[in-house]
Amino acid sequence: MDLLFACKYPFTSEARQAIEENNIEISDFIAEKAVTRVVSALRGESVHANPMHISDQLAEIGSYGAARMMLAFLHNKYLINKFAVAEAKRASSAMGRENAENLRKLQKELGIFPSSFEGKTVVPLPTFLTFSPRAIDYRLINRNVKGGFVEVNSREIIRLMEEAVKTKAEKISPLKDPPESVRKYAAELMKLVPKQVPIPMSFREGDNPPCIEKLLEVAKSHQNLGHQGRWALAVYLINKGMADEKINQVYSNFPDYDERISKYQIKHARDRGYKMPACTMMMSYGLCVADCRVGNPLRWKKR
Amino acid sequence: MNEAERAFVLKNFSEYYQKAEISVPSIEQREFGIGGFQKKIEARHMGFPNNGALKNYLIGNTPLYISHSIAYYKYPEATPMENKEWGGGDLVFDLDMHAGMFMKKEEIEKVRNDAISLIEQLQADFGIKKEEMTVVFSGGRGFHIHVRSPEYRMLGGDERREIADYLGGIGLDYRKFFGRIDRYKIAGPKRTDWGYRGRLCKLVEKTLQERPQLIHGRLKKEEEAAKLRSCMEDGNWSKTTISDIVERLEEVAEGLKVDTINVDAGVTIDTKRLIRVPNTLHGSTGLAARTLKTLEGFNPYNDAVAFGDEPVKIKAVLDIPEQEFSNKTMEKMKKEEEKEVPKSYAIYLILKGAAVISSRAAYR
Repeated sequence: MDLLFACKYPFTSEARQAIEENNIEISDFIAEKAVTRVVSALRGESVHANPMHISDQLAEIGSYGAARMMLAFLHNKYLINKFAVAEAKRASSAMGRENAENLRKLQKELGIFPSSFEGKTVVPLPTFLTFSPRAIDYRLINRNVKGGFVEVNSREIIRLMEEAVKTKAEKISPLKDPPESVRKYAAELMKLVPKQVPIPMSFREGDNPPCIEKLLEVAKSHQNLGHQGRWALAVYLINKGMADEKINQVYSNFPDYDERISKYQIKHARDRGYKMPACTMMMSYGLCVADCRVGNPLRWKKR
Repeated sequence: MNEAERAFVLKNFSEYYQKAEISVPSIEQREFGIGGFQKKIEARHMGFPNNGALKNYLIGNTPLYISHSIAYYKYPEATPMENKEWGGGDLVFDLDMHAGMFMKKEEIEKVRNDAISLIEQLQADFGIKKEEMTVVFSGGRGFHIHVRSPEYRMLGGDERREIADYLGGIGLDYRKFFGRIDRYKIAGPKRTDWGYRGRLCKLVEKTLQERPQLIHGRLKKEEEAAKLRSCMEDGNWSKTTISDIVERLEEVAEGLKVDTINVDAGVTIDTKRLIRVPNTLHGSTGLAARTLKTLEGFNPYNDAVAFGDEPVKIKAVLDIPEQEFSNKTMEKMKKEEEKEVPKSYAIYLILKGAAVISSRAAYR
């Protein structure tokens, strides 16, 4: 068994096997590591552990599982999404430096099977749709599509894999009765949660057009949003006369929120005086979700 | 519609169901909804253990409309929706035509051709096999295509929207196919590309042959045209001397929209949608939502008729134009005119609110 592989990709069956075979229990050491793992995810820090000793490697792998148990017990959607984003980023940066055999192993684990079709590297269309980020370059309409396949390059394959890791990591079902240590360290964890927690949003349904409501819904459920979506939402809120501080509060709901970047981007969008993209633009971004025929989202009137 | 007419319609519906062959795949995992004279869906969260039970229900309880979920559920009858435990769903496309009392011949042809192109595109671009598709006349003014391909079953609404947008060319902007590599180099589509990118190259090629000046007068020179062709060989679009080539392709790119198919995205993206059960009757027409082996030559007013030709005396409540129905020509009727017409046509007109049963009119 390749413990280093399991360390880098603790969500794999190989990692699970390592835990089972070595009878790893949640010790204080592992639990502390798990707390650190979640807290750095919240801070948006990327941690790249490369432990040398077997016992450290096992603890590293165990900390992933322990973190998941704490999150399952706390059952806090925001924390879970932050965690999943961080785990996906961590794995994807390792993937970039991975050898072909390990990559294949990982692809099998994630259910992403690149192949060759008519001389192009492709993935099955449903796989592409499931794991592609919501970004304009990944819109199906802009892609090479044939025979149930979409052409992709190696960088894009890794991006799809990253999304697959995120999906895997965020699948955490609630745990009502955890072991005592999990309960104890989950409480510790909550003490360390930075106070930049998301601010609840109050938007009334029907006040905004369906496309914007969908974007707000994404924020509310602490899902990530692609670049165009985030930009469109900011421009919309600016044009609606919302203050930067308020917009920033909305953005604090995204799991990959970074206060400094977010503030800068909102200010930048305001300084540049960006106009709200018209419905046709929203369509080409793949953000239009209804046929309200208003021409521009700002022209929406409550019905 | 009065009680007598309702009873007349439902009695005939029930008789139809005695002979009809209705078979819903994986029926035990489907949610059902029924509709009546007020609404197309009046009750939902129903389930049937097998097709025999469904048939008995249709004969005995005869709803005016019946739909099943495109979704597969562990507990189809559970409420609220979350408790049903969604286990994927068929990928469904709805092609519809806005029409008056009757669809005109050209309207039928248009929607039929759209359906044919859709099926072709689902095979060519999406790799869906013919045997994974069921083509059904909606019973109203269009077609439903049910795709039961396991690969597509688990897709969520957002992913399904990508498919609907792709088919409809929604958000299509050919400029997105081009990107600047550096100050001088433009990367663009290649002849060997698939999808809309490949199609754009084909359109450029066609324009070069037929009307090169549409892009630029200079392209009338073979030498210049060859340069542009070579751009499409390797995707390096900097080889042409036309510096604003991307902008100049605008008119050519208009051609991309010609082949797009406008499916009703609202239907495709809804993973919990209820859709008319194939081979049941549509309560606004009395036509059968027939499963079709081929679309060639299909005319709903001849091929989806569900009732016999026994004469029924009706009275027109509006002017009714001449119409082909059940392979015969039905003469036009003036408002208030009374006439004996074949039962299938009578039911169509009654459900459309264009006629009433004549005896009632006499007693009133």
